[in-house]
Parts: sequence; structure tokens; C-alpha cells
Amino acid sequence: MALLVVENLSVGYQTQKGYLHAVEGVSFSLGAGKSLGFVGESGCGKTTLGMALMRLLPSNGLIREGRILFDGEDLLQKTDEEMRQVRWQGIAMIFQAAMNALNPVHRVIDQIAEAILTHNPSRDKQEAYEQTRGLFQLVGLSEDRIRDYPHQYSGGMKQRAIIAMALACKPKLIIADEPTTALDVLVQDQILEETKSLQREFGISIIYISHDISIVADLCHDIAVMYAGQLVEYGATEEVFDSPMHPYTKALLSSYPTLIGEKSRLVPIPGETPNLIHLPPGCLFCDRCTEARVSCRSNPPVWLEITPTHKVLCHQCGKHCGE
Amino acid sequence: MEVWKYISQRLIQIVVIFFVILTVLFLLFRLAPGDPVSRMVDPNLTPEDAELLIRELGLDQPLWMQYLYYLKNFFTGHFGNSFHYGQPVVRIIWDRLPNTIALFTTSIILSALVGVFLGKIASWHKGERRDTCLTLGALITHTVFLPWLALIMIWIFAFKLGWFPITGMISEEIWLDPGAGLWAKSLDFLHHMVLPLATLFLIHFGSYLLIMRSSMLDTLKEDYILTGRAKGLPEKVIRNHHAAPNAALPVVTSVGLSLAFSINGGALTETVFTWPGIGRELVFSISHNDYPLAQASFLLIAIVVLLSNLVVDILYAYLDPRIRY
Amino acid sequence: MTVTTLNTERKLSERFHWIGRLLEGWSIYRKSLLGKIGLTLVVLFALMALCSPIPPWVSPMYQPMAGVDPDISYSVGPSTRHWLGTDFMGRDILSQLLAGARIAFMVGVSAAFMSVFLGTTIGMIAGYAGKFMDNLLMRLADMIMVMPALLVLLMLAALFGQLSIWFIVLFIALFRWPGVSRVIRAQTLSLKHRPFIEAARVAGASHLRIIFRHIMPNVLPLSFLYMTFQVTSAIIIEAALAFLGFGDPGTVSWGMMLQWVWKTGHMFRAPYWLLPPGICISLITLSFYMLGRAMDEVLDPRLRKEGETD
Repeated sequence: MALLVVENLSVGYQTQKGYLHAVEGVSFSLGAGKSLGFVGESGCGKTTLGMALMRLLPSNGLIREGRILFDGEDLLQKTDEEMRQVRWQGIAMIFQAAMNALNPVHRVIDQIAEAILTHNPSRDKQEAYEQTRGLFQLVGLSEDRIRDYPHQYSGGMKQRAIIAMALACKPKLIIADEPTTALDVLVQDQILEETKSLQREFGISIIYISHDISIVADLCHDIAVMYAGQLVEYGATEEVFDSPMHPYTKALLSSYPTLIGEKSRLVPIPGETPNLIHLPPGCLFCDRCTEARVSCRSNPPVWLEITPTHKVLCHQCGKHCGE
Repeated sequence: MEVWKYISQRLIQIVVIFFVILTVLFLLFRLAPGDPVSRMVDPNLTPEDAELLIRELGLDQPLWMQYLYYLKNFFTGHFGNSFHYGQPVVRIIWDRLPNTIALFTTSIILSALVGVFLGKIASWHKGERRDTCLTLGALITHTVFLPWLALIMIWIFAFKLGWFPITGMISEEIWLDPGAGLWAKSLDFLHHMVLPLATLFLIHFGSYLLIMRSSMLDTLKEDYILTGRAKGLPEKVIRNHHAAPNAALPVVTSVGLSLAFSINGGALTETVFTWPGIGRELVFSISHNDYPLAQASFLLIAIVVLLSNLVVDILYAYLDPRIRY
Repeated sequence: MTVTTLNTERKLSERFHWIGRLLEGWSIYRKSLLGKIGLTLVVLFALMALCSPIPPWVSPMYQPMAGVDPDISYSVGPSTRHWLGTDFMGRDILSQLLAGARIAFMVGVSAAFMSVFLGTTIGMIAGYAGKFMDNLLMRLADMIMVMPALLVLLMLAALFGQLSIWFIVLFIALFRWPGVSRVIRAQTLSLKHRPFIEAARVAGASHLRIIFRHIMPNVLPLSFLYMTFQVTSAIIIEAALAFLGFGDPGTVSWGMMLQWVWKTGHMFRAPYWLLPPGICISLITLSFYMLGRAMDEVLDPRLRKEGETD
């Protein structure tokens, strides 16, 4: 049984103008030790999805339907107290380094030790501090900076500290939400490599959320492309990259430059995302789709399985795939 | 260490400001309309004594020399004699200083602590009845006119209900009684302090409550609060350990910015309650044209305000690691 | 001819744009309960001030300062002749209260206007000019902010004898401009580096023109906001000064009324005299504060009720 199975998850926000459909009918699964990347543009719902998995939505957020089976148990059925136990021990989260993810008035060592002590009340402070030192070594941070305050760290150091903190309770799953976005490319690369080796060493599953498809391609076994709150293509990374099926995926890939192959024009995707409060009846992408037909506008698309490890949500793909 | 540099910088600023005040006061006293000599020399002195005093204060010298005399007198503690009390001014204000410090400091600390505490609670229950009551209460108490509130307090609690004395700091019968112990004297002192303290407290806690409340609401939106929740920390720990220390910083700043306002309030309270502090002495001496006493009281109040500012700055530096490191 | 039509068109649309923003602000303001209450109260007080000439016009015995009731020369409670009673000299309290409203508005609005005018000008200069000017002005502001205004005014009263009401207003303004200037300076600093200012400079606009044509309009809403806060502090300072006995003896302000009730020992026996002035001062402070809070919501979208934006 996979570590994480999400079935038909729908999440939204109550706003003054109505209910905003941030995530609609998303289903996927993730095995132990595997990594799954979620890509899509800003506002496609990937961050909301990440938050929903940990049930960290803001007060106007609502999980309308679905099941989140983590280690066999439905997280949506858990009480607040039970969920608190799952957080960090079962599932941990890595935020953007540029965010104010660390409390400025507490030392870094105390914030990491706090995570340890909260979930292991039997340990004492010294043990927690020892463990924190070990974590620092693991992520490549110098131990003599351990008693510093977050504002004294550079961006890359903060990111490493956040990773160290996420590993503190040895979680089975880590959700990484755009962790390297604000960093310069060299540091980005380093951290990605370190993340990969940590994953191999500890067998942690990773959900990697990013708008940068190239990073996901490097890191993840599977990839899920999101658009306007829906999953539009899902499968093994190689397959999706070699033969992208959904027009949006194809457009995403062609909007990134490649180092190899012929020099071709970068094609941006015209148009805007649909209104998430009043969802159109048909395919959400049809207004911007180069291959749309009349039927796309009125009928919602269904999942088409290209291979057992590659499926796509589209009307037109049946004709192109020839299956 | 960084923090010493910061403190010494502030200290120098304060000394400069004080000198400016000293000089401006000097100029005002000499240049204001009327005879400056009558402001320095007690009109009740005999002409010979007056002549002596004039020589001593250098009032027959050119202005810049007078300034030097002025500074010299200040630093040697020669403030002259009070016209009204006939005693050296230094003795009088030295006597009054602890009374003001006791009332002023206690009221600020109390109102800041309670204001922060209640503001925190109001923010947790935002939109609920508790919050509305607290916010409304804070709004109303902090816009009430201080001297009027003092009068009302005296009228209700001292006059009508008789729970507290109407004026003063101590009851002479107790303090002059050789048999009375420290306990009795302290209790009496506290008994007299309740109403003035309550008045100052009511006026000031409201603004700290409102600031803490809005600061907490802002802080709770910060990313590190999300991190705390993701870490599985209980809500109480998040609010008290993570949010509150950050949210309290603007309150400390606000205490510093409103010190001048607070000392105004302190002087008014002392006057209405006849609490023998420097504030009251200032008002009293001005209404009686007791210039030496007025000048010295004013300078002492200025020192108190400046030093309080320094204390608040140090406190802020202590609480915010971004300043210390 | 085409140039002139273009210019007039532009001027008209600019004027409408300004009005449009005002109306937009008003619709946001209207939603705030605090704002509505505050505005109502302020209007009530303004009416009080406007009605202040009425009682003396009805009868000279209702003169706030000089009028005395031929039959009463001491303090007595409310009656049909004196709706709020009389003070210790037999003068009508209600007419004093109305006159006090007039003084409050006069002092409040003039001092606020002056301090905001000074504060805005100095703030803009400090924010826009070089480091030296900025430092100089802000150090000056710091020094003034540290001083307790009331006590300095007391010292001035000691030296200059009785202070006239305009002297008091002027000095309140001189003490309160630093608070405004800090905020305006911060705003100016953030505006200084915006592209449209750069563009104006490149186009050859002089510094003065940039300040008055481009920075000032963006800074004015903040100035207005601070004016409301300044009104309250001005009223309170004048009231406290009058309460202590150092106000302008020719004016009847609420603080003066409190001074009389206190100093003539009527504190405990004349609630009809003690309560109205104090309530008025407190209430007008509260109402301007509410006004200011609601205006703050208009200017700063973040303060509005959650859920209104996207």
C-alpha cells in the first residue's frame, strides 16, 4: 500500500464573492521513498494542496470532499489533537527560505529543538540540542552558527536550517513548497543535490511543489501537472517529459529554454486562468488551448490512460495518442 | 558588543538634548519680558542679601558669562532657594523625586503589563464578545480626560464611599507616630497610592491594549506562525511563545514614544490628588512665581523623561535580537 | 487650439479623478461603524459650537463669561431657566458648555492644521532632500518629541504671564509637528524612488515642482488622517492647561470650567457642573479618534474587514 493516497480531494476558500475552487477532484498516490512533483503556474492550487495535506488551511479554507490516506489512515477523520501528532512526525513541511519561516526572536537551535521536544516529551533539552547538532552536520551547516538568530543567516543557510528542522522528527513524508525559489542558482543546485542524497539515505517520500518544471524534472520520480485547481497530467517524469500529452503540459515545456536540441522560440501561453469562483462547465483550459474544439467548452474532460504510469485529463488526447 | 555601541549612542543623544534644554531654559529666563533679576532673586530678601545673590549668580555680568555661571551652578547643585519655602531648592526636589518615581514607574509598568496581557486575549477572541468589550473599554478609558477622571475617582471612591483618602500621600498621624512600624507606614502609603495609580492606569492601559491587539493580529499572519502550526505545536504555545514576544515589541516602542504624554498625565494626577511629587511642585511653583523651584523642577522632570526613554530603548534592544546582533 | 482642448480635457479628467477617489473613500468610510458614530458625534459638537451665540442672543444673562443671573449668584442645579444649572457666580452652565465647544473646535482645528502643515512640509523636505538635511530635521524632531508639551507650556506661562489662546494654539502646533513629519518623511522616502518620480526628474522637472506636483498629492491623504489625531491632542493640551489655571482667562473652555468647579470647591456638590465639561472633552476626543480610525481604514486597505479583497 502506498504511503500516501489522495482520493478526489477538493479544497476551496470562502470569500466575500463566493466559494473559490482552489483544488478540484485531485487524486494521486505516493509510495515510500518516492518523490512526486507538482508543477503549475501561480494560483493553480499546488500550495493549497500542500497545506490541505497537513490540514493547515487558514480559517476561511475548507476541505469540501475527498480522502487523504496517510499510512492507511484518513487524515481528514482525525481530531485536531491527533493531527498535531501527525504533523512533523509523519509529515513535515519545508517552506521558502525567503519567507519569514523562522521566528526572529528565538535562536535557530531552540526552534529546531522545540520540534524535537514537542513530539518526544521524554527527552530532555540536552538530548534535543545534541540531536540538533547532528542535524546541522547533516545539512552542511557549521555548528558554530547554531546559536545564532535567523536574521544572521544567509538565504541558503536559512533554507538548510529549515530542511534540518523538517528532518528533526524523522518524518515519512516531506512536502517542499518552492524551497529554492528565492535562492541564486548555485545554491539552488547544491540544495537540490543534498535533498536528493538525503532522500536516498533516509528513504523519505517527497512532494515537491514548484513552478519551475526543470527542478521537478531533475528531482522527482513522478510528476503531476496542475492547472486551475485540477490535475491535468500525471505520470512518471520521463514519460511525461518525453511525450507530454496535455496541451498545457506541452505549452509549459515549450516555455522553458533547453540547452540541447535546436534553438526554438519560447512560446508563452496566452490568456488568463479561469474564474475559480464560477467554474466554467467544460475543460478549464480550453480558452487558452491551441487544440481546443467546441466540445471542450461544454463537456468536462475525463482521464485517459496512456500507459499504466501516465494519464492525462483531456478530450483531444485520445485522437492524438492513437490508443 | 553591538548593544553597548547602541546604548552609548543613545546616551550621547540624551546628553545633547539635555544641554539644549538647559540652554533654552537659560535664554528664556533671561530674555523673557519682565525683569530677569526678579526671577532669580527672592523679592523678600534684604537689599544687601539681594546684592550678594546677584553677584553670586553673575547677574551683573554679560550674557555669555551668565551662561557660564549658570552651567557652573547647575553642575555644583546650586539651584538657589525657593521663594516660597525659603529652603534650598535641591532639598525640596530631592524630597519629591522618589514620590514621583514611585507613582510614575508603577503606573507605567502596571498599565503596560496589563495592557499587553489583555490585548493578547482580545486578539485571540477577535470578533467575539470578549474582544468587543475589551476594545471598547480600552477605547473609552483611554480617551477620557485625565484630570476629570481623577476628580470623578475622588468624588466616588473617596468622598462618597470613603474607601480612600481624598488627598495626599501619607497620613501624618501614622507617619509621625513613633510607635508605628514599617508595615503600617507602607500600608498607609499604598492606601494613598491606590486612587492616583488607578487613575493613571485606566488612562494608559487602553492604548497598550489596542496596540498589542493589532500587533498580535498582524503577527499571527506571519510565516513563522505557520511553521509553528506545521511543527504540531499546541495553539497556546504558538500564541504565547512565538507570537506574543514579537507582538510585544511595538508596544515597547509605543511606551517610549508616549513617555512625554505620560509625564504630563503624571503631573496632572499629582496635582489633583495632591501627591507630593515633582510634577505637582512644578505646577505649584509656577502659580506662586517661585522661579528657582520651577526651573529646577522642570529640569529634573526633563532628566526623568530622558532617562526613561533610555531605559525603554535598552529594554527594546534586549527584547529584539535583531538589534543586539 | 488642439493643444488647449487637450489641456482642458486633461484638467477635467484630473478633477473628476480626484472627486472619484473621494467618493470611493466615502463609500468605504460609510461601512465602518466607528466612523459613522465618530462622524455623528463630531457633527453634534459642531452644532453645539454653532449654537453658542444663541443663548447670549436670547438674553444677556446667558453670557458665558460675564452674564449673571440677577436672581442667582451661586451654584444651583438644573432648572427651566438654566438647563444645566449655574456655576459659582450664577452664570449659565449650558451657555458655557456651548462656548467651550466653539473654543474646542477653534483650538483643535487651528492647531491641527498648523501642525500638519508644518509637519507635512518638513517631512517632505526631510524625505526628499539629502542626508544632511534629513538628519538635521529629524534630530530636531526627536528633541521636540521628547519634551512634554504641557509642562513646557507651563514654563512659558510662568515666564510670559498669562498666555493668550492663539499663543497656546501656536505652541501646540510647534510641539506636535514632529509626529506628523516622521510619517510624511517615511512616505516621501518610499515615493522618492518610484519610477514616476524618476521619470519626472528625467523630464527636467525642478525639485520644487516634483515635491508639490508629484509627492504632495500622494502624501496629503496621510496628512488629513493625522489631522484628526492632532485635533484631539490639541484639545486635550488646551484643556489641561486651562484646568491647571494657565489658560487664556478671556476664554471659556471646558478645561476652564473644570478648573472653576475644582478650585471653588464645588467638586462634590455640583455634579451638574462637574460632569458636562468632562464628558464633552472625553467624548470629543473619542469621536475624533473614531473618525481617524475609520479614515485609516479608507487609506490603508489592509485594515479593512477581511474577505473584501480578491
